[in-house]
Amino acid sequence: MTGGLQRVASTAVLVVFSLLLTVLILWVSGYRVGDVFSGIIQGAVTATGASTSTIRWAIPLLLIGLGVVIGFRAGFFNIGGQGQFYMGACCALAVSLGWREGPAPLVILCGTLAAIGAGTAWSLLPGYLRVRFGTDEVLTTLMMSFIGALVLQYLTAGPMRNPSGTGQTAASERIPDSFRITDGSGVSTTVLLLVGGVAVLVWLLLERTRFGLAMTLVGRNPTMARWQGINAGRVGLATFALSGALAGLAGAVELYGPGARLVTGFSPEVGFTAVVVALVGLLTVGGTVVAAVLFGGLQSAILFLPIVTDLPPPALVLLHGMVAFLVTIKFQAVWRRTGPGAKAMAS
Amino acid sequence: MEQILATTLRSAAPLVLVATAGVFAFRAGIFHLGLEGLMIAGAFTTVAVGDATGSVELGILAAVGVCMILSALYWWVIGPLGANVIIAGLGLTSIGLGGTAFALGAIFDKRGSIFTDVVLPRPVRGITSGPGVIISELSILVWITPLIVLAAWFALRRSRFGLRLAAVGEYPFSARSVGVNPSIVRLQALLIAGALCALGGAELSVGALRNFTENMTNGRGFIAFVAVIFGAWHPIGAAFAGLFFGFADAIGIQSQINITERVPREFVLMIPFVITIFAVWLGGLWRRRSLEAEAGYAELREPDY
Amino acid sequence: MTAPSESASAATPAVRCRSLGVSFGAVQALRDVSLDLSPGRIHALVGQNGAGKTTLAKVLGGLQAPQTGEVRIAGRKIPLGDVRAAQTAGLAMVHQHFSLPPSFTVAEALELTAARKGGRSLYRRSELHQRWQDDVAEMGGPTVLATRIRDLPVETRQSLEIVRALAGDARILLLDEPTALLTPAAIDQLFERLMSLRDDGVTILIVLHKLREVAAVAESVSVLRDGELVLGPSEMSEVSEAQLSDAIVGPASSADRAIGKGPSAEAAQDTLLELVGVSCRESAFELGLNEINLRVESREIVGIAGVEGNGQRSLVSAIAGLAPIADGSMRLGGVDATRAGPARRRLRGLRLVPFDRNSEGISRSAPLWLNQSALRLIGRHRRRFPLISLRQYKRQAAEAMDLWRVRYDAVGQPAESLSGGNVQRLILSRELAPGLEVLVAAQPTRGLDFSATNFVRRSLRELRDGGAGVLLVSSDLDELFELSDRLLVMYGGRIVARFQAPYDRQAVGDAMTGALR
Repeated sequence: MTGGLQRVASTAVLVVFSLLLTVLILWVSGYRVGDVFSGIIQGAVTATGASTSTIRWAIPLLLIGLGVVIGFRAGFFNIGGQGQFYMGACCALAVSLGWREGPAPLVILCGTLAAIGAGTAWSLLPGYLRVRFGTDEVLTTLMMSFIGALVLQYLTAGPMRNPSGTGQTAASERIPDSFRITDGSGVSTTVLLLVGGVAVLVWLLLERTRFGLAMTLVGRNPTMARWQGINAGRVGLATFALSGALAGLAGAVELYGPGARLVTGFSPEVGFTAVVVALVGLLTVGGTVVAAVLFGGLQSAILFLPIVTDLPPPALVLLHGMVAFLVTIKFQAVWRRTGPGAKAMAS
Repeated sequence: MEQILATTLRSAAPLVLVATAGVFAFRAGIFHLGLEGLMIAGAFTTVAVGDATGSVELGILAAVGVCMILSALYWWVIGPLGANVIIAGLGLTSIGLGGTAFALGAIFDKRGSIFTDVVLPRPVRGITSGPGVIISELSILVWITPLIVLAAWFALRRSRFGLRLAAVGEYPFSARSVGVNPSIVRLQALLIAGALCALGGAELSVGALRNFTENMTNGRGFIAFVAVIFGAWHPIGAAFAGLFFGFADAIGIQSQINITERVPREFVLMIPFVITIFAVWLGGLWRRRSLEAEAGYAELREPDY
Repeated sequence: MTAPSESASAATPAVRCRSLGVSFGAVQALRDVSLDLSPGRIHALVGQNGAGKTTLAKVLGGLQAPQTGEVRIAGRKIPLGDVRAAQTAGLAMVHQHFSLPPSFTVAEALELTAARKGGRSLYRRSELHQRWQDDVAEMGGPTVLATRIRDLPVETRQSLEIVRALAGDARILLLDEPTALLTPAAIDQLFERLMSLRDDGVTILIVLHKLREVAAVAESVSVLRDGELVLGPSEMSEVSEAQLSDAIVGPASSADRAIGKGPSAEAAQDTLLELVGVSCRESAFELGLNEINLRVESREIVGIAGVEGNGQRSLVSAIAGLAPIADGSMRLGGVDATRAGPARRRLRGLRLVPFDRNSEGISRSAPLWLNQSALRLIGRHRRRFPLISLRQYKRQAAEAMDLWRVRYDAVGQPAESLSGGNVQRLILSRELAPGLEVLVAAQPTRGLDFSATNFVRRSLRELRDGGAGVLLVSSDLDELFELSDRLLVMYGGRIVARFQAPYDRQAVGDAMTGALR
């Protein structure tokens, strides 16, 4: 237990440190630190609609982040959440536009299932290559992500383009309003119940099923898991499928919720931010919920900030980078270096 | 035809430079996903400092310095501080992308892109007409790139430094057993990689063009990384892989002009990524992994995550 | 060999170390070791696995910094934990594991290690080959300098390690278990080589664990036990083999050896495990299997003897279902299991104590309870309801571990916090739980201390007496003689001899080294 507390503490320290470092950069660039902080508080919590907006941005982060947690639990770096998210949204959109006259609940259900299927497929290809051939999943999931972004771009600029649309960025047609499960704010009881239910299910899966325990063993030491009769390959495939399904679901929620249409390159950072969220959440479900709300708040604030100061959105990308850069630092490694056997550990 | 050749060279030069950087990192056993971030940091610094001083040389020098400092930080975080190589590398990429876009606003008070007056010298002059005119638009870095690749080949394949680097990457124990500190060798490799990324970024911003745009690297760092794998971690192989991706890019640009009607642009742009997946699959990170698992060479490894 | 001359012992020792102490966490690997090695002779260092031999060698070679003590080479104190310093002082080391990068060519590997003068930082291939031609020729055999290390046979790799070590004009050579992977013929060659080096004035310290080899090559011997120097350095002529083995295993153990009981009286009934003509392909680092026939019945322990690397790992992997059986068939409890996956075999009552307990037997970073209950994760769930009670898992794991006297603080602590003996108890508590039909135990006592070893052996015997079948793979002949009801010898991936108790040590030894074919 003390080990767990230590990890929470060290992660908190590193996140705060990254935040301070970013603020320091802002300060050097001439921004008033007080303004920035009060802007963040307002944009994330106190301003009208701010807390709703925080939740709205936390939802995709949480869903994709839970997928990342599942992947990491079994020892896989599925960092292609972005592409799986896009593919999910695209398939849900295709179903919804193709069956405009259908009964709303049925269309939403089919669209969501299609989204889950698409996310799963997008994740299973790298997963299969990894499990069957040992192909490194970091690069393949990343590449699948780039491809997903291009598919979205193609669809929004081509077949699904809104013909009456104006402006430079390509966007699809809107889905009928009856298909939406939230208003423009992106938050409704349905969505909250859905996301909360998913989080609980993922927690149960990871912490209270034999499959979850098997995943942990595969992630910690696949050799040992194999010796114990656990089919590491099958566990790996299921893991990839699940994490892709969650990202695909996030795409559907985005479409039926706040989006209502797809715009080329929407939420471009969400995939990577979800990885950061999962890491900050210490790869636990509860931690990921907390981290998703935290980063959702920052996202909401960065959109609000220009009203207070003229802070540009890239500052948030910078912050995410800082957190990712530092968050996996092991304090134990720092201590160990000063202890016995330091030389042997150094490499 | 000449058009495509010149466009290929121009697209390939930054890729080749960054791929060479990737070869150094990879040979030292570092799965360096921060190349993209270093590259864009190099592109921006060249423009920013070059614009301020009016000298492209100073701009490049500053870019090399900045990228080496970032590389050293990366080394410090993944080495002595034990952070995860992949996550920290992706973080470095985000720092580069976000940091340059932010700095663009903070320093130049602009969003999107800026133009600059500084430009790399173009050694071939005097061709003012005909198909050769495009050759005269190639910057000095494009012409130097083959020399850099050659130098990298010497450093990696024909020098003691290269042997140490390969030993550290392949089997750290072999290096330690002869008194080589793997950590220091990794730092050296990362510093060289940083400098090369800076050059790649500079070619992108003031070689081919005269501007800096947010996110102008557009995944080139990752493609370069793939070129490393495609080229079997060999500097010449990686260079040719980079050239090939440059060619694919050139075809893409050409086809955008010519055949947009028939093949959507996005599908052309997908080609490098699809090829990459095949390359990673075939090219054998797998080979490397199974090697590590060989008896007597296996080191106990359990991930923390 | 040569009698010690007065002058030799009076000269400055080639290596002198004083009160070296090394500890890894709670484990004291070396305590207060002081040792003088006189120059120009072959010294052997022996001891059981885990006695601290490799640690001592690493300290001398500069790969491991001790917490206390000092090392002098030829009278000069050297900085500790510094490989370069040891090399410049003239000491070179040949490691237990090969230390040359497998993808390097011979010439590159030698150049990597060269502290030799005259090398520029850039080189040409031809120049490299020229430079190392003589050294490689010296070791005999037509090795091509452009060959990659991974393509070399084991013996050649080994001699290359020595060439490499001597390249820097070393005057002191340290060899850490160089014979472990060699054939008897290659061992003889190696020893001849070492003796001729000795004649050239090189001081040699060789870590061994077979007394026969010590007698064959060494002039002086030192014994480590539990990190302490318990004997020597003594002249080989002055110590008897009995004295040596007592020093190695400790006083209590010799008494224990007499306890060993004969084969169990009751007749065996069921065939629990049967391999008929099983062959499997070689893996990257282990010989394949060739037409293996063996049978394990209830109430018997079948021993598998053999020099390490003769296919034992493949055998255990094939039985576990982790290496595909290319030819032949295997039956578990009378049912064909040739194509069954690892899980199915486990569910049929196959239990395994794998060779490498830290990487194959446990997950070091996973909590104890999860390690303990790993076998509950396969097969169909007993109840319909998919959720499990962690509290129940933890409680049952704790009960099992208490039963097997695993010493731990909390069920949630990571397995890496246990000592070697306790890790083995943890594995036994999992594998020997009810449901076991047949146990395959690979090197179950390797590296364990005396009491843990006894505990494991007693457990195996009780298991046998309780009606189970045991296949015991070991490289420790004494253990096999003590426990086995029947003994099979593996050599070159096949079973070359079968013995019944009482065993003839000479005959078994001959079979192991391939003398008997």
